[in-house]
Amino acid sequence: MVELTLPPDSRVNKNGLVYRAPEGAKKPRTFRIYRFDPDSGENPRVDSYEIDMAACGPMVLDALIKIKNEIDPTLSFRRSCREGICGSCAMNIDGVNTLACTRACEDITGSEVRIYPLPHMPVVKDLVPDLTQFYAQYAAVKPWLETRTPAPPDRERYQSKEDQEKIDRPSACILCACCSTSCPSYWWNSDRYLGPAALLAAYRWIIDSRDESTGERLDALEDPFRLYRCHTIMNCTEACPKDLNPAKAIGEIKKMMVSRQH
Amino acid sequence: MKRAASTPLGRVLGSGAAHSGTQHWWQQRVTAIALTVLTLWFVISLLCLPDLSWSSVHTWLAKPFSALSMSMLVLAACWHSQLGVSVVIEDYVHGAVSKTLALLLSTFAHLAVAGVALLAVLRIAASGN
Ligand code: SF4
Ligand code: SF4
Ligand code: FES
Repeated sequence: MVELTLPPDSRVNKNGLVYRAPEGAKKPRTFRIYRFDPDSGENPRVDSYEIDMAACGPMVLDALIKIKNEIDPTLSFRRSCREGICGSCAMNIDGVNTLACTRACEDITGSEVRIYPLPHMPVVKDLVPDLTQFYAQYAAVKPWLETRTPAPPDRERYQSKEDQEKIDRPSACILCACCSTSCPSYWWNSDRYLGPAALLAAYRWIIDSRDESTGERLDALEDPFRLYRCHTIMNCTEACPKDLNPAKAIGEIKKMMVSRQH
Repeated sequence: MKRAASTPLGRVLGSGAAHSGTQHWWQQRVTAIALTVLTLWFVISLLCLPDLSWSSVHTWLAKPFSALSMSMLVLAACWHSQLGVSVVIEDYVHGAVSKTLALLLSTFAHLAVAGVALLAVLRIAASGN
């Protein structure tokens, strides 16, 4: 059965450590952050960090870096580009999956900023989820061009501007996993359901005018779980920080499945 | 017997695609449309009756067109519900035995409801004018 409560050793202790703002802070604000250290043998807890926003950059990632540099070096999170292009800093901020580097602290209403790892994933440490299965699902859809016709000897394979535009948006996916980890179907059945990110990637190759494996790609998705666990709940599209539309892509794949039957 | 895969990709690929699901999804859409039309017909027909007494509803339902449409409504509702409930079971019940039992139980329950309802409509139609 689906588990609606956390197992005893994953239950969160809400009364974690509290770090007060420094004397004379001009704009103090509290960040409540999920902490888990697998080596400690302790349950996860939520620590509170009060920081002076007058001496901090505007984004949630700036606050996290400030906390790590100035208050608590044990805080773990992923980040790299700090401009919404690498997808590493995805986390659950104020109840919404998004990128810490593009989410402004100012836009978060309420006095506290609550930060948790992406939902329903195994936690490696603090805000770092284990994305092994998520990446394997991406690999499973063969995210590369497949052709039987050899490439022209003297040039690359051409594609019209219109055909390029079809794959332009889906190609912009940064594999941050905000969408898949916001999808209830993925929470309950990620062992068999590929999830919106992998399906968007599959769609990107299905509609690529240069690809010659459309049929095989559809065959590989035609499954009550791999594709049809999507119940059009639309959380994925809502969550995507790059404004992509995985739900629509999944709908298009389903339409292609039907149209090749009749 | 299912082989336990040892790599993440092996686990995701599992036993491969079942090459089904499209019919199920399509039938769910088609029965949904049928249900919308038939439910509208049902409500409007009842509203057009002089009153909702046993005899006027009985007389109305005994007419061939009403009985036919009512049978289709029963079939569409049961079929749509059977498809929907099986999806819910697959979503939430993960044990191999409990899932199979739940799916069987749901199928039999839906068949029973459809059978009883169809029989009732038939009897009314047969008794009518
Ligand atoms: S539309 Fe599909 S993939 Fe997106 S959140 Fe809903 S069920 Fe998940
Ligand atoms: S579709 Fe959007 S939310 Fe999903 S992985 Fe790609 S960029 Fe992230
Ligand atoms: S740090 Fe690269 S997307 Fe946020």
